[in-house]
Amino acid sequence: MPSDQDWLSNPLGVVQDLVADEKISNLDWEKRALEYFQEKLKETEAASWVPSLNDVPLHYLKPNSLVKFRCMVQDMFDPEYYMGVYESVEPSTQARVLHIGKYRDVAECEPQHEVDLQSQNNITMERQTFYCVPVPGEAQWVKESYASSSQARVSPSTSYTPCRHKRSYEEDEDMDAQPYKEKEQFTATDAQADSKRLETEASLAQQSSAPTCSPPLDLNFPLPGEKGPACLVKVYENWENFKVNDIMDVYGVLSVDPALSVLGDHRDDALSVDPMEADEEQRVHSPPASLVPRLHAVLAHKLKHVNPLVPASLCTEDGTSFVSDFLTDLVTVRAELLGLLTGVLLGDGVAAEYLLLHLVSDVYARHDVLPLGKFTVNLSGCPCPSNYTERLYRIIQLLVPCSYHLCMTLHNMNSLTFIPRKDYSANRLVSGVLQLARNTSLFVDETQLEQGQLDSAGVQNLAALGNLITWQKVDYDFNFHRMEFPCNINVLIASEGRSLLPFDCQVHLQPQVVPPHLEQYMQSLQDALLPSLLTKFRIYLSLVRHLEYSISAEVTKAVEDDFVEMRKNEPRSVSAEDLHRMLVIARLLSLSVGQTSLSRERWQRTKELEILRRRRLEQQKCVNGNEL
Amino acid sequence: MPVKDYATEKDKLKKFLQEFYTEDESGKKIFKYGTQLVQIAHREQVSLVIDLDDLAEEDPELVDSICENTRRYVNLSADAVHEILPEYKEREVVMKDALDVYIEHRLMMEQRGREQNESRDPRNQYPAELMRRFEVYFKPPSTLKPRVVRDVKADSIGKLVTVRGIVTRATEVKPMMVVATYTCDQCGAETYQPIQSPSFMPLIMCPSQECVTNKSGGRLYIQTRGSKFIKFQEIKIQEHSDQVPVGNIPRSMTIFARGENTRLAQPGDHVAVSGVFLPLLKTGFRQAVQGLLSETYLEAHRIIMMNKTEDDELGMEELGEEELRQITEEDFYEKLASSIAPEIYGHEDVKKALLLLLVGGVDQSPKGMKIRGNINICLMGDPGVAKSQLLSYIDRLAPRSQYTTGRGSSGVGLTAAVMKDPITNEMTLEGGALVLADQGICCIDEFDKMMDSDRTAIHEVMEQQTISIAKAGIMTSLNARCSILAAANPAYGRYNPKKSVEQNIQLPAALLSRFDLLWLIQDKPDRDNDLRLAQHITYVHQHSKQPPSQFVPIDMKLMRRYIALCKKKQPAIPESLADYITAAYVEMRKEARVNKDMTFTSARTLLSILRLSTALARLRLVDLVEKEDVNEAMRLMEMSKDSLQADKTQTTRTQRPADVIFATLREMVPDRGVRSVKFVEAEQRCISKGFTPAQFEAALEEYEELNVWQVNQARTRITFV
Repeated sequence: MPSDQDWLSNPLGVVQDLVADEKISNLDWEKRALEYFQEKLKETEAASWVPSLNDVPLHYLKPNSLVKFRCMVQDMFDPEYYMGVYESVEPSTQARVLHIGKYRDVAECEPQHEVDLQSQNNITMERQTFYCVPVPGEAQWVKESYASSSQARVSPSTSYTPCRHKRSYEEDEDMDAQPYKEKEQFTATDAQADSKRLETEASLAQQSSAPTCSPPLDLNFPLPGEKGPACLVKVYENWENFKVNDIMDVYGVLSVDPALSVLGDHRDDALSVDPMEADEEQRVHSPPASLVPRLHAVLAHKLKHVNPLVPASLCTEDGTSFVSDFLTDLVTVRAELLGLLTGVLLGDGVAAEYLLLHLVSDVYARHDVLPLGKFTVNLSGCPCPSNYTERLYRIIQLLVPCSYHLCMTLHNMNSLTFIPRKDYSANRLVSGVLQLARNTSLFVDETQLEQGQLDSAGVQNLAALGNLITWQKVDYDFNFHRMEFPCNINVLIASEGRSLLPFDCQVHLQPQVVPPHLEQYMQSLQDALLPSLLTKFRIYLSLVRHLEYSISAEVTKAVEDDFVEMRKNEPRSVSAEDLHRMLVIARLLSLSVGQTSLSRERWQRTKELEILRRRRLEQQKCVNGNEL
Repeated sequence: MPVKDYATEKDKLKKFLQEFYTEDESGKKIFKYGTQLVQIAHREQVSLVIDLDDLAEEDPELVDSICENTRRYVNLSADAVHEILPEYKEREVVMKDALDVYIEHRLMMEQRGREQNESRDPRNQYPAELMRRFEVYFKPPSTLKPRVVRDVKADSIGKLVTVRGIVTRATEVKPMMVVATYTCDQCGAETYQPIQSPSFMPLIMCPSQECVTNKSGGRLYIQTRGSKFIKFQEIKIQEHSDQVPVGNIPRSMTIFARGENTRLAQPGDHVAVSGVFLPLLKTGFRQAVQGLLSETYLEAHRIIMMNKTEDDELGMEELGEEELRQITEEDFYEKLASSIAPEIYGHEDVKKALLLLLVGGVDQSPKGMKIRGNINICLMGDPGVAKSQLLSYIDRLAPRSQYTTGRGSSGVGLTAAVMKDPITNEMTLEGGALVLADQGICCIDEFDKMMDSDRTAIHEVMEQQTISIAKAGIMTSLNARCSILAAANPAYGRYNPKKSVEQNIQLPAALLSRFDLLWLIQDKPDRDNDLRLAQHITYVHQHSKQPPSQFVPIDMKLMRRYIALCKKKQPAIPESLADYITAAYVEMRKEARVNKDMTFTSARTLLSILRLSTALARLRLVDLVEKEDVNEAMRLMEMSKDSLQADKTQTTRTQRPADVIFATLREMVPDRGVRSVKFVEAEQRCISKGFTPAQFEAALEEYEELNVWQVNQARTRITFV
């Protein structure tokens, strides 16, 4: 049996060892290898020994070692056919050896051997390539938390000289000033700090790339200003389970063979009839391995969330016990959180309640086209001067694992790409801002919008955003047609007046306290947050969302009767949409206190909240004087 | 499995090509392939398409092996054709190009040489590929179903497959070398090199007997004129959007088209391609590096263009028994109607109207005057009554449709724009939403928010179904045979009961009259309805699916196929109904005068009735319009009018149905003579006004008791007292 360290540093060797040569052809080894790695990773802590591409810079990782990567599927390429088993032959002695082609890019064989492409023993198999990017909008605390829990010991490999992409002259000097701790072993935290520096450098370098270089490769991140490695993940099993925008956790064999990038340079095919186009595709589909490493997935599974504080799966034994443990002090956590949000919203309790509900909302089902459970809140009446909204976002960012602050400035609306678009010349999906993983908090800041001209791109972007909010889907542009991609994004709109975007529920902010220095006030709130409490908030928000929920027949009846009654009293203002909204609010309210079925009290509370909210809106109308 | 004897297989093919025939009506034998072979022999035809359906009649086993191992059989049948071709040569062939002359010369030279040597077949020294001036393709048997790109996997390699998709890229057509011909600079001998892979290694040393024995080291030079080239094009197709599972990226596939198959498709075309799925052989450096990977392509045998609607029909082989039964149940009309946007509760009549819009009436062109068959509908209503949902559902259901909002579209955007190409400075026409929706449905949301000037651009489309352009040197008329489905809010955002209908709608009569049906959807409280609505919503939230008590909505695809089937029917209106319809129309005109009706009753109304009734007949899949169709059409018109006036009746005295029926009957009484009405006529008139026979009966009884009228024993006449 291979030793413990081997499966981390030399997984390919392990696979080869698991198989006796003559048994390669009957493909039993596939299953055995899979089971072996599953077994290994089941051990407690084992997963944390695997270095993660997310927090260790690429050049510190040994090629062909086992690494993990937490990412979102951004694009799917066409399936690849590869030789799962191939035979090599020594020309002089005709000695033949069988090799396994799984989990590798380049055929390897003993010295003097040649790969025999015509061999009868070759087996062609199929695999799928996903283009993966780090989860867009992942909060800093999530990254740090993952990095600190990692116990992987990485050392820069001696065989593989750190190869960094395009670096300007000044940075070279800078580098000399602080040489690498090349030989030292160091822990992941160091690596992480280092990696951050490197990443910023890398991105700087990308921007200021020398004019002689070919244009920098666009790594195709959905959000502008994102960092981190993109990766081509090759999936061998069950790739039908993965969809675009799924978050997944991959354990796989890292492949950075420089030969991979060479491939693109020598297009001597007579068939590349249109060299320009083919080049473009080649460039995108096989970018330099140093920039976009290949990851051959040994194990890959979908994640429901990226919160490091909550177990990945809530259905397992660990998961359920974790949930039941947490449920005991759920109510106090909720109260604390509500307190914090009230403070953040300048003492407005009702708005805080709605914000809390928004933060735990989740599209739990789709009924035909109608997404159920979405809860887009329009927070109107935000104090406009000073960057209140930005402060607000910063606090939300501290609470949720994924978020994005979308400033709706005219410039942004006109210039950003919102909708992902298929680029046929490069044959890839060019990402857009709205390509986000599930449960990402999208904070739309409408206070930034000024008067002016929206161009056609801006109008389309606005429509896409509206579509996203109403239907929870984005129509990706495939040039010849559009394709719907369902999504699950929590949208919060901050605006001065009523938002021009559609929304489920508008809450007008009524500040109870007016701090003289808003900036300081918010900062003090943020500083006053205890880390332990913050952790609890984070767990709370991720956990509550995934609880089961039901409505009993009895309560259903009461709700129905209530609705009929309301319609009778004020037919103008109560519509089917209101009932939809109230049912969603009732659901979120119940879940937020840990109740998994609707009770009459919660329903009553829902109605009260709605009445409070409506009254405010009416007041607002009176203040403004003009009817909307 | 025993090894195939390919020689006998070849003989089988030969025999098939020579002997296959079909019989025409007169019983005369037509040798389908024989005649083609004659043409090929005379260089009048290039490609020979062997229909595997024909072959299946003779030898089904052979067809199976062809589908399994297509590449081999292509060569076999090419050989077979090559061998039997001389037999079909009836006269001298005219030389067509340089290669023909070249081949001729080689053959002659060979002939001369043969006299000295032992007799040899003149063809076999030259590579077969060089001599052949024809191409052999297979047409897959009809039992081979078209597949989705993502279903073509490694196990299909080498097999004949048919895939459908949209062309995303097509390269230019370029010549590709098939046989390279070299001459030696020493001995002058010619050497041939057939090329099968995309790239090849040129020969350098002369292999001829003379050079080898003399060791003269003759160099070979390639001869472009003597080499054979073939047209070559690389095409990329991508799956249709409806073939992609939710949340997946569409797959694509590379297709190599050669010879006659080139230049058949352009980017954006919907195509079905049959061909052989093959791995791409790489040579040299790339092979060594890539090693493990192999790319694949589809060697095209047959490329068929199809536009999207036809393609949908293709997907609808005949509706199955089970499916037809499911649709043509007794209440299929109601069922189909309620399957439209099942998530939206109620609005049965609106949905019925939308169903008719999808099916459409019959176009008529008496004496060159075109009368549209497309039905236009305008939905008007309070915010939040699911107008937009209805629109977007129709948009999704219709095989061809465009969705725009009034606020987001200008007149130009809807009709067509003349653009100047920045590079060539040419003027080009770009179709707007209405042009793009030709033969389909154009859904316009927020119709009331449109600028008036933009809205007038639609007038022409709505009646003439064309768009005329006279701009910047381009004068043309584009077809825009589309139905328009518009949704609008009342003028004050909400329907204001205190204002008149005219004030509420605020659309010009010119526009309103162009809509066949105008529907006002109002949000009015009603206990029963509210309760059912509440139950519906709570159920959806509780179980996230339809309440079980309700019927199962018909699947969207099935709907689409059924509607496509309906559209094939062209029902006519029989003479016998003409009187009935005219009478009804005259009645409506009269009523409009009396009631000072808001909705403009004009000749267009009559046409609307005809359109709606033909659409109804289509829906029943019959060829003749019946009286019920006309009645239902008039009922729908009546209901649509009612929806506009519902408010009036509520504010004033509520008129019971019986009262209205009485009034109707009284109007029918002739001024002079016997004060009586025919029972059947009376019933028909009332039903056309939207009353049920039961209501009619009730009214009859009620007024009979009041002694206002009497019904005779046989129930044929109603006589006023």
